[in-house]
Amino acid sequence: MSDRRALSCRGLRVVRPASGFTLEVDALDLQTGEVLAILGPNGAGKSTLLRALAGLEASADGVTRTGEGPVTMVFQRPAAFAGSVAHNVRAALLGRGLERGEVEARVHEALERFGIGGLARRNASSLSGGELRRLALARAFVLRPRALLLDEPFDDLDVAGQAQLSLDLRRAIERTGVAVAMVTHDLRRALLLADRVAVLLAGRLAQVDTRDRVLDHPRSPEVARIVGMSNLVPGRLVVGEDGSRVEVDDQHRIRARGGGRDGACVWAGIRPEDLTVDFGGGGGEGIGKGIVRSVVNDGVAMTVAVEWAGLELQSVLLAGRGPARRLSAGDPVSLSVHPERVHLLARD
Amino acid sequence: MSELSAGLIAGITLRTLAVCLPALAAALLIGLPLGIALGRRRRFRARGALVSLVNAGMGAPPVVVGLATALLLWRNGPLGALGLMYTPGAMVLAQIVIALPFVVGITLASVGALDEDWELQVRTLGVPPRWRWWLLLREIRLGLLAAVIAALGGILSEVGAVMMVGGNLEGETRVLTTAILMFTQMGEYEIALGLAAVLLGLTLLLAGLLTAVQQSGRA
Repeated sequence: MSDRRALSCRGLRVVRPASGFTLEVDALDLQTGEVLAILGPNGAGKSTLLRALAGLEASADGVTRTGEGPVTMVFQRPAAFAGSVAHNVRAALLGRGLERGEVEARVHEALERFGIGGLARRNASSLSGGELRRLALARAFVLRPRALLLDEPFDDLDVAGQAQLSLDLRRAIERTGVAVAMVTHDLRRALLLADRVAVLLAGRLAQVDTRDRVLDHPRSPEVARIVGMSNLVPGRLVVGEDGSRVEVDDQHRIRARGGGRDGACVWAGIRPEDLTVDFGGGGGEGIGKGIVRSVVNDGVAMTVAVEWAGLELQSVLLAGRGPARRLSAGDPVSLSVHPERVHLLARD
Repeated sequence: MSELSAGLIAGITLRTLAVCLPALAAALLIGLPLGIALGRRRRFRARGALVSLVNAGMGAPPVVVGLATALLLWRNGPLGALGLMYTPGAMVLAQIVIALPFVVGITLASVGALDEDWELQVRTLGVPPRWRWWLLLREIRLGLLAAVIAALGGILSEVGAVMMVGGNLEGETRVLTTAILMFTQMGEYEIALGLAAVLLGLTLLLAGLLTAVQQSGRA
């Protein structure tokens, strides 16, 4: 495993004296061929971490690069050099002692890989935001990097553009085996590509794990919120012979699969897509009745806010399916969740 | 126009170029790195003072620059020992001082107008330093063109300073502008007009040439 490392951090520390911000990362490894998404709220230090990995933070210690090839970065707003699209990509290979034929072949390959071969002769200053981003990616890939650092790669793109770019990126990553670290504040964009997820909170790594483990087993309520587990229900854990349950009050309880110390204060974490709302009994494990407070439908998904035990819970359903599409504020509904999908978190 | 005056005009024109072109080259050689350094390093202590000096220099009357240079080069002045007063060397020196603020100021402005990410972008691509310079000069070539035109236009048509430190000595320091002035005062309007036409033609030619170079680099 260790020989597949493309980039490692050990005891990385970046201090910003002006703002009092400190980034501290004890250990973080980037493996060849994987995509690591770095998630976190604004100001958590995501871009600082990326810049430190790229070697752009003069004060950063503790980053080691192993293996062949350069480490390069694509910025949130990539800068184009004056000249044609092809010139921009060619510029990355300047002064490397490559033969002209090889330079042209690599430039061509990189442009085609990101679907901008037809724009090679266009002036880079005339490109749209999406085209410029593709240019920046082609310019990075032409270097045959060992590690690639992407800052908000899907920013400013429409949904179709994001999907197409993520497909092209995925293919390029698989073909080249480059290690990718990607910063984004948007969970769904991160999940388009990520194999692993690192959650950064206030300059510290709160959790680094495979994508599914972070999504299903966040280590803290803060991480849970970042990875979209927006329903956090406070209660007391009761461990019985027939399994565990979280008692919220006298009338409200949620059955859970996990164990723990009987009587402990816990959060029951439930992803909105795991919470089902229904007019009648419905599937899953009923947790009681609630009142719909609001319904937001974006055409793909429907987000329903339901008042339950004095809390507001969120449920996300596919839009346009079943009787749920007729839901509106004030409707009484039954809520249910499968005990497997209830994640227990310690609460101080 | 007689053959004699045609030869006279040609000689004066060549001497003008022999003074202006080295002065321009020297101003570019000194001013470009200075302007780039000032434009790139956005925060250091003396920056404000230096930038003000450059801006003041662009507006400074050439006659005053000539006077300052003359005081430096005068027999009793600090550089008097060089014996440059009333030589083409003195004129080159004065013209460098006149052209330098334009080169520095315009270079500084074009580098400063570059996106702050530009430099980082070049660095993260790992472009070797020598090629970074090439990319930077390419990036600011419109500004460079403006700097060359402004500087050359300034020194080619300047008369006060070169008159003061050169002295308009025939065959030595007589250049287009000082000659036009002299022949006009002498009532030799034919030669003065001929010289003026050459001066005007030169400025137009150089501007056209540089624009053509810039246009071809754009494609």
